[in-house]
Amino acid sequence: MTSQSQGIHQLLQAEKRAKDKLEEAKKRKVKRIKQAKDEAMVEIDQYRMQRDKEFRMKQSKIMGSQSNLSEEIEEQTLEKIKELHGSYNKYMESVLAQVLNMVCDVKPEIHLNYRATN
Amino acid sequence: MALNDVDVQKQIKHMKAFIAQEANEKAEEIDAKAEEEFYIEKGRLVQTQRLKVMEYFEKKEKQIEQQKKIQMSTVRNQARLKILRARNDLISELMNDAKLRLRMIMADSGVYQGLLFKLVLQGLLRLLEPVVIVRCRPQDHLLVEAAVQKAIPEYMAVSQKCVEVQVDREVHLAVNAAGGVEVYSGNQRIKVSNTLESQLDRLAEQKMPEIRKALFGANPNRKFFV
Repeated sequence: MTSQSQGIHQLLQAEKRAKDKLEEAKKRKVKRIKQAKDEAMVEIDQYRMQRDKEFRMKQSKIMGSQSNLSEEIEEQTLEKIKELHGSYNKYMESVLAQVLNMVCDVKPEIHLNYRATN
Repeated sequence: MALNDVDVQKQIKHMKAFIAQEANEKAEEIDAKAEEEFYIEKGRLVQTQRLKVMEYFEKKEKQIEQQKKIQMSTVRNQARLKILRARNDLISELMNDAKLRLRMIMADSGVYQGLLFKLVLQGLLRLLEPVVIVRCRPQDHLLVEAAVQKAIPEYMAVSQKCVEVQVDREVHLAVNAAGGVEVYSGNQRIKVSNTLESQLDRLAEQKMPEIRKALFGANPNRKFFV
């Protein structure tokens, strides 16, 4: 009788150990999956920092080229205005003379379609 | 029947081993599954987040490009307006110079008299009214009276019409005006402005394209020149 209950006791113990082993395995699994999340976040943060760096470099490059271009345009504009003044000074007198001639050249005329009615 | 103790012990030992074996196998399965899910989950998370990051930065980069384009366009437009403004200023300068020169030319009363005659006559011919009022600068009265006297017979010859001309003694043009006359119909409802300023302005408006071309050269952007 006692040997029977001893045997059963041993079997029960073995089952309990088996169950504990499975519990531990399940706990490990949960931990592993959480690890997946943590590692993923680390990788993504790295990627994000890298893209951020690339972006900032691009940004400063674009801003730089922009200010260069607008300086260039400013220079060109001043150059063109100078040209305008030069050209004006060159031709001003003759144009003025022509204009004044035309002002004084008044031709009093009656209308083309006028018919005298008497 | 009933097994003896030794056999029972053996059985129990086998059963224990079986239970332990099964537990180990199941535990290994769980571990293997855990690894598999680890990689799947990590890969999935990284992939989705990565896409988000990429989209975010691509959008930002596009925004900057657009901003740059807008700014450059604004800058170029401002530059163009600056040039046009400068050109306009020069033209105004020309017109002012012209007005000053006119004043100097009209200081010669012979020249001025001749011009006044033509301006008065033109006024009469434009109006074709029976009664006409002529307005001038206060200092031009005598000259204008003379011009009117000369103009009336010319007018009547060309138009076959009579006219009565009154030189306005109450209202005058400004003393510092350049000169010329304003010619009104009898009821002052119709006005022909033949002041020197008006002449100049009319002329400038008509001849502006030619003036610009003479001063600044032809416009290289015109494709369909008449």
